Amino acid sequence: MRNYILLIGFLLVSRLLWAQECNLTVSGRVLDKSDRTPLSFATLIIQEDKSKGAIADIHGNFTIGGLCPGEYHIEITFIGYETSFEFVELEGDLRVDFQLGEYNELLNEIVVHGEKDDKSTEVHHAVGQDKIRSEGNKNLADVLESVAGVSVLKTGSGISKPIIHGLYGNRVTILNNGLVQAGQQWGNDHAPEIDPFVADHISVVKGAGSLQYNSSAIGGVVMVDPYRISTDPHLHGRATYVFQSNGLGHTVNTQVERADTWASWRLAGTIKFMGDTKAPNYFLTNTGRREANFSAQLERNFGSKWFATAYYSMFNTNIAILRGSHISSLTDLREAIGRDEPFYTKNHFSYEITQPNQKVNHHLAKLETEYFIDEFQMLRLRLGYQVDNRREFDVRRSGRSEKPALSLSLTSLNVDATYDWDYAPDANLKLGIQSTIIDNTNVPETGILPLIPDYLSVNLAGFAIWQKIKRDWLFEAGARYDFRDLEVVAITRTAPREIERHYHKFYNYGVNGGAKHSFSNNLDLSLNLSVAQRAPEVNELYSYGLHQGVSGIEEGSPDLVPEQSIKGIISADWHITRDWYLQGLAYYQNIDDYIYLEPQDTFRLTIRGAFPVFKYKQTNARIYGTDLTLVYDANKFVSGNFVYAIVRGWDKTNSLPLIYMVPDNLKAQLAIHPKDGRTFRENEIGLTGQYVFEQTRYVEGQDFLPPPEAYFLLGVNAKTGFRLGETHFDLNLRVENALNTTYRDYLNRLRYFADEMGINAILSLNLTF
Amino acid sequence: MKKYIFPILLSAVIFAACDKEDPVVPNEEELITTLTYTLTPDGGGDVVILKFTDLDGDGGNPPEIETSPLAINTVYEGVIKVENELETPPENITEEVEEEGAEHQFFFIEDILKSDVMYDDEDVNGNPIGIETIVETGAAGTGTLTIILRHEPKKPNDGTPEDAGGETDIEVTFDITVE
Repeated sequence: MRNYILLIGFLLVSRLLWAQECNLTVSGRVLDKSDRTPLSFATLIIQEDKSKGAIADIHGNFTIGGLCPGEYHIEITFIGYETSFEFVELEGDLRVDFQLGEYNELLNEIVVHGEKDDKSTEVHHAVGQDKIRSEGNKNLADVLESVAGVSVLKTGSGISKPIIHGLYGNRVTILNNGLVQAGQQWGNDHAPEIDPFVADHISVVKGAGSLQYNSSAIGGVVMVDPYRISTDPHLHGRATYVFQSNGLGHTVNTQVERADTWASWRLAGTIKFMGDTKAPNYFLTNTGRREANFSAQLERNFGSKWFATAYYSMFNTNIAILRGSHISSLTDLREAIGRDEPFYTKNHFSYEITQPNQKVNHHLAKLETEYFIDEFQMLRLRLGYQVDNRREFDVRRSGRSEKPALSLSLTSLNVDATYDWDYAPDANLKLGIQSTIIDNTNVPETGILPLIPDYLSVNLAGFAIWQKIKRDWLFEAGARYDFRDLEVVAITRTAPREIERHYHKFYNYGVNGGAKHSFSNNLDLSLNLSVAQRAPEVNELYSYGLHQGVSGIEEGSPDLVPEQSIKGIISADWHITRDWYLQGLAYYQNIDDYIYLEPQDTFRLTIRGAFPVFKYKQTNARIYGTDLTLVYDANKFVSGNFVYAIVRGWDKTNSLPLIYMVPDNLKAQLAIHPKDGRTFRENEIGLTGQYVFEQTRYVEGQDFLPPPEAYFLLGVNAKTGFRLGETHFDLNLRVENALNTTYRDYLNRLRYFADEMGINAILSLNLTF
Repeated sequence: MKKYIFPILLSAVIFAACDKEDPVVPNEEELITTLTYTLTPDGGGDVVILKFTDLDGDGGNPPEIETSPLAINTVYEGVIKVENELETPPENITEEVEEEGAEHQFFFIEDILKSDVMYDDEDVNGNPIGIETIVETGAAGTGTLTIILRHEPKKPNDGTPEDAGGETDIEVTFDITVE
């Protein structure tokens, strides 16, 4: 709440005469912005001299001593709160209270921030930013992979999308800057069109109760939140360069920001240039990637009550897809499976991108304004506009490879209004209405009947969320109602072709409730129960055609009904000691009328041979599992964390395991922090291990190939930081798959054709000024 | 502020009342609907036509397969014609295949002929394409003949699609009687 009011705190300045000597102190307390409770063990770091800082005591009190007079930026971090950068001018000892805003964290959401474990391992750094920057060569979803319960569905190394608790695609909503990302989400090979660099932190909401976002998010929500521009009147910025040895990839990002009197602004841009990656034994021909992104953000306060922000971002990518994975018949697939190396493998490296490839271009514009009616009431209006153009190229005859085989243009308009009311000291009510219009059109340049028909969808929704704190308890309840009007304009498969119109109306509701109890400062237990419905998407209703990647004819079913989900989550956040932190979570989700692609008994004869037919069907399913995160962080010499996740999916109607369920996986990280030297500080040497079990819950014939074997990946990393004048440098070296292990991953759709990437050394240099 | 919300929502509803425009039906110039394998016997006799037609492409109505018996101990000159009959007049795709001969090859898999189907044409590099072939029958019997057209195969290859790789543009199977 009230995240957007920046409070510098209450300054109690006392000048001392011997100010020129470097023995000044900054002291005060770190408090929760909304209820002003002290944040025990929050971390404060002086940005100009990162060896100076403090950890607050149990009452939130801190003291940083040994400072010279001058201007300083202090970074304040605390688990579950937005990292804050505060500017102080020191002429004498200073007493100041800092207030941190909680992430838009509701009890029902069990928000696990992307960096939660790392953050407490490396208390010196801002949440999320460090990881996002040092792994800036990766895709959005890959950055999230370290979170327990989150996995990644891949199409080769260039395309990835997040899986939360076993669900993905249409069931996971991605919020880009508060707006539901409007892209062609339906394809397993359609990655979210977001540059992770724009995010201050990326958070994952596990659970189906995300009522204020989207009714279809029965799997969960990924939130990409840019950080607020600091109130600093000086020009600040960052530049990051990442090199990766595998694929000889270069990534450059820069951003600058300043708080001018007319407004605060930030400009950012990213460029990625990568070539063919390499498996341990051969080059993965045609797996390069290009990306060019830009964003601009403006923030302005009109008096103390009215705040407005404008945001624009552009995302452009060209992603090559392994040449050897392009097949157009079942015979091709059978021939491609089981080869020592994929077809079309070249024995040399190349930056060239040829067909098959994807070119995506996404624009997002947002206007948001918040008006504080009084101390307790806030009104927010949000306008969003997105354009998503996706062109997919195949290997075609007679120079037609230059023409896309799929060309879609999607336009989306969002209008949201939220009213937030603290109607009592410990109680809050949030009401909202949302409308979304999505217009998806096939650009008639392909010369192929579209896989997905044109459609126009209008969604109107309303929600109410109530929260109350009573001593050590937090209660929450919410409800949401969605109306969706869908018009689909399809081209028939008859000769001659005709145009058919289909109309659908869906009415969905969602409710949820939960309670959280703090047993002491150290242990929080929470329980949440949610009921939600997800209307079928257009691809599930009307897709028709050959899916090259899976070599099957995919057919929608126009008579699908909404899925009904009931999910219960119980979770424990336990700060066992100051050094040990444990988060355990267990969930059970029942989905009736679960929509899935069912292989049909009869093959369909075409001129390219007989193809298996997959039809969208409904069944009753259940998914359950646990996520476990254990963090050791003494802020001393050694730190470590351990993440373990299991997911089980079962088709109750057909008594079969659900296909593409995440295999059990285990990740561990151990780091040693050598003492700061005169020049090099924040040193770290680390070791990471990841073990992915074989997915054994599989019945012969469910897939073209049984799931691949278990594998273990070892990684090493080292980093350091130093200053040159006003500029701070971070240098990070990471080696992934250090043992050059040959393996295939069950959740990579190219596992039929090729091994995963081999050893990869990544060097990132980040400078902050 | 509130007064703006409702006009916007209202306009959304009005927008919703509008119909989506008709899509442009694509010109499916690449579609292959028909393969005709015409076998003309050397030294006279009945011409044999093997024809696979799927006028509406994948889905819709099932394809039609036309075949007639071959004579025993006969040498045939085979010619393949590939068309898109959804267009009027039908588009001859054989010409495209011929022009891009180096990037295409027909493969023939059979279990009824006296010997393998022999190539009687070549691309710019001297490798076979398979638009023109020689077929020789032996004793009477029944079996199948599968014709495969591969795009971007490895060339030269050992004459099998397994070795050649590439993408399948056509893969049709005919029941063959030799009598």
